[in-house]
Amino acid sequence: MNNQQAKEILALYRPGTADAEDPFFAEALQRCDREPELKRWFDEHCTVYTAIRARFKQIAVPEGLKQQILSECTARAKIIWWQRPELLAVAAAIALLMGLAVFWLRTPRPGEDTFGHYSTRMTGIARRGDYLMDFETNDLTQIRSYLAQHHAPADYVLPAGLRKVAATGCAVEGWQNTKASMICFRTGKPLPPGEANDLWLFVIDRSAVKDAPASSAPQFAKVNRFITATWAQGDRLYLLLTEGDQRTIQQYL
Amino acid sequence: MASGLDFESVVADYYEPLYQFAFSLTRAEADACDLTQQTFYVWATKGHQLRDTSKVKTWLFTTLHRAFLESRRRQTRFPHYELSEVPLELPVLSPATANQLDSPQVLRALSQVDEIYQAPVALFYLEDCSYKEIAEILNVPLGTVKSRMARGIAQLQSILTSGDQANPIKKSE
Repeated sequence: MNNQQAKEILALYRPGTADAEDPFFAEALQRCDREPELKRWFDEHCTVYTAIRARFKQIAVPEGLKQQILSECTARAKIIWWQRPELLAVAAAIALLMGLAVFWLRTPRPGEDTFGHYSTRMTGIARRGDYLMDFETNDLTQIRSYLAQHHAPADYVLPAGLRKVAATGCAVEGWQNTKASMICFRTGKPLPPGEANDLWLFVIDRSAVKDAPASSAPQFAKVNRFITATWAQGDRLYLLLTEGDQRTIQQYL
Repeated sequence: MASGLDFESVVADYYEPLYQFAFSLTRAEADACDLTQQTFYVWATKGHQLRDTSKVKTWLFTTLHRAFLESRRRQTRFPHYELSEVPLELPVLSPATANQLDSPQVLRALSQVDEIYQAPVALFYLEDCSYKEIAEILNVPLGTVKSRMARGIAQLQSILTSGDQANPIKKSE
């Protein structure tokens, strides 16, 4: 091994990590002790590495990201818990307690029935395509009938802007023992392959969502690349979601 | 979910480094948030399949990297590189220049490194993963990881040395 070969190896060395114990670097590190020019180069490499690493580590994590992750995924994780076969076996063994457990599960835990959770859950469903369309049609009248037959909110009032957009179908989503209607639309913008919708309206009984906005004037909130508009009308709470900014979503109101 | 691990503590331990990795790749807060959330969503639904709890970190970074590649897949395909034919150049950045850089400059420079090298370079600087773990995350052989890292680091430092991140000097391949 000459100094050039040692440098090529040591260029991958990360000071302060387990690289010091990695046999890949051992011979080149030993050579540093004998070769002053190589040692100088290596010290500079470590200084540069530390400086650049510090710049990467300065990337600020958005406030609220952790809470957003937890509120979206916790409900899902609870569902998965019940889908695991080994845990199902345990559950069967304590069947006597199931009545109590069901009662407990059906009672919303403090904080889980709030508007924040509802909004995060429903926007997550739409953004990740985490739903199966229950009924596919472009006919808004048929969508309304389907939702009514399935005891989901069907007496909603579509905003004028939304009535001009092509519907693609609907689904009934559950939220804290209440049904929410999800109506899917396609705005006509180009869509990535495999995706059929890019605009979603959720309607739910307003009393099912704690702290739900009471105003008929839409409130806007950015969710990563998406934007939501929320408003109340009568007993219903409306949540509209699409990719873009406030100007984008306003054309559908 | 892998036994002995609760969802909240996994999120608490890894959401920040995952976000930083995602941001290094996308340079956009919204996209980085989306990738991080998507990663934990996959963990919530499939994490229980992981038997070896010591692999959680590698699993999460692998999942995020896959999600990133999937999001890029529709836009472009990675060019084909014959790494063995590309001569290796050593990094050239001086300590004095490195100490004057700020985070946005470094990330802008990273965005101008050939795309195939960006994830290896981000992991080189951000994470204390072993090279074996990085190879698992990127799903490439160990030797390929080292080659990509070496070339990526040299490109990054060359761009930073040129001081003109808007008009980068890229290595010809």
